Amino acid sequence: MRPALILIPLLALPLVLNDFWLTQVATRSLILGIMALSLSFLATYLGVVSFAQATMAGIAGYTIAYFGPNSVGIGVQLPFWISIPLALMLAVVSGGLIGLIARRSRGIYAIMITLAIGVAFFYFTRQNYTLFNGWTGFSGVRAPEIGGLSLRDPLALYLLSLGTAVLALALVSGFVRSPLGLTIQAVRDAPGRVLALGISVTTPIVAAFAFSGLLAGAGGILNVWYQERISSFSVGLGPIIDILIVAVIGGLRHPAGAFVGAVVFVLLDTFAVDLIDRERFNTLIGVVLLLIVIVAPGGLQQLASDWVARLRRPEVKEKSTV
Amino acid sequence: MPVNHSHTNANALEVRGIGKRFGGFWAVQDIDLTVRPGERRAILGPNGAGKTSLFNVLTGDTSATTGQITLFGDSVTREPINKRIQRGLRRTYQHAHLFNGLTVRDTLFLAVAGVRGGWRQVLPLRAGDDRLAEAERLAEVAGVADVLDRETSELSHGQRRQLEIGIALAEKPKILLLDEPAAGLSPAERPKLSALLMSLPKDVTVVLIEHDMDIALQTSESVSVLYNGRMLAEGSPDDIMRNEDVHRVYIGGAHGH
Ligand SMILES: Nc1ncnc2c1ncn2[C@@H]1O[C@H](COP(=O)(O)OP(=O)(O)O)[C@@H](O)[C@H]1O
Ligand SMILES: [Mg+2]
Repeated sequence: MRPALILIPLLALPLVLNDFWLTQVATRSLILGIMALSLSFLATYLGVVSFAQATMAGIAGYTIAYFGPNSVGIGVQLPFWISIPLALMLAVVSGGLIGLIARRSRGIYAIMITLAIGVAFFYFTRQNYTLFNGWTGFSGVRAPEIGGLSLRDPLALYLLSLGTAVLALALVSGFVRSPLGLTIQAVRDAPGRVLALGISVTTPIVAAFAFSGLLAGAGGILNVWYQERISSFSVGLGPIIDILIVAVIGGLRHPAGAFVGAVVFVLLDTFAVDLIDRERFNTLIGVVLLLIVIVAPGGLQQLASDWVARLRRPEVKEKSTV
Repeated sequence: MPVNHSHTNANALEVRGIGKRFGGFWAVQDIDLTVRPGERRAILGPNGAGKTSLFNVLTGDTSATTGQITLFGDSVTREPINKRIQRGLRRTYQHAHLFNGLTVRDTLFLAVAGVRGGWRQVLPLRAGDDRLAEAERLAEVAGVADVLDRETSELSHGQRRQLEIGIALAEKPKILLLDEPAAGLSPAERPKLSALLMSLPKDVTVVLIEHDMDIALQTSESVSVLYNGRMLAEGSPDDIMRNEDVHRVYIGGAHGH
């Protein structure tokens, strides 16, 4: 699909949406999509499902809150052009460290280890007051202002999130074609053989996690600006599972699916709660997830591109792909 | 950095007292083997004789339980597989496990990158990267140039075997261990493989595990026969063909494969 076909309507979206739709639905979907992209990248190219992406995003978010304007009086004020790179760097480092810890684990064991890290970080933020302000965390976090315009302004935050999402997808597609990206995919397919080629297996695994930390960190920064607060609940089981659900709805076989999953998730989350009560929302999302796993294990993105392929050339349906 | 201080008159491969134990079972035991530089050696033996296990120990895919391995005069018994590869040792696997999601081009590229090693591995690909040119050359040599941009999961069995050899030929190997490269090939594909083996540069040392006697005897000047994990006989193809023990345990008892 040509990127322009998608990008132009997305750029025009603010012209037709009111602030509620633009911020609560569009911007939130983009931010959630970027965080889920960090997971679908790992799942697609390294073949590892990580439950620690909310942790990496949270580390970036907490860094922004701690080193920026907030209303709890904790932290040190730094200009945003220092705090943003610092937040991204810490997210990358934490991603790399988590990769180092999980490097020998695959499948269910990788899930267990990353989940343990995620939960440990959640409890740590609740108990630590000097850096994380305990379970209440930071509120009144303000996005930077550039020339008097706050980046929290609905249009500015939407365009910033859109730009970040596009950049993130472009980075992923470039990275996976680089030698390191190829090595990561080779590790996914046959780790023993990678070693037998004379290539270290640890380097690509750590690099993949670090790169996913960069994506998660970018999402985490946008998220703390969007929410204007961050607390232990932002890195708890709720967000951990939300990111997983978004990635699975979108499909773990193509990174762009994360954004499709995010839109579906946010629409359900925003509107289903009006129709049914909060308790039943979890049931609804569970049913949606179950349907997708059964009907379209490749996720909605895969389902859609299969349909597009079928519509385009119905006559070659029988033939194998050559 | 490849370690390349080979001693001029050293043997390509010297194996003394190699044994490999799995639990209480010795897959190979007490193996001595000397291969001169440029020699073409065939290793014969019935299924389960320990041929693949011996290769695994020689390359470092598994560690030796006993014994010493010397490559071009340097002891490599305790060296990891990547170091041995940079010394010029390469192998193919009997059961190919390739990177299903990667193309032939990318697979061969990684083979080249692996041998060169070092920090260059992480640099982004640029057009005209000489590692890409080397990958294309390997595809040409191995006969998979026409499927360069296919994913390896889409290759035929024969093409996968050829790709295995292409991987092993990355960056001018000095010693090649080939584990039944002709296994599962159609009769039409076999002569192509023989031709490929015959066309290898004369200074490349080749150790070949092969069931196909035609290919083994046509491409080798000396033969070692393994049986029950031990060395049963060694000699020229003629010696081996006349050897009574060999006839009894292998040639007489071989029911194809
Ligand atoms: N990883 C392993 N664990 C246990 N036994 C093994 C292992 N690999 C090989 N063996 C055993 O060692 C013996 C030799 O196997 P192998 O080296 O594959 O023989 P060949 O290649 O000559 O057919 C066989 O009996 C096989 O079952
Ligand atoms: Mg074997």
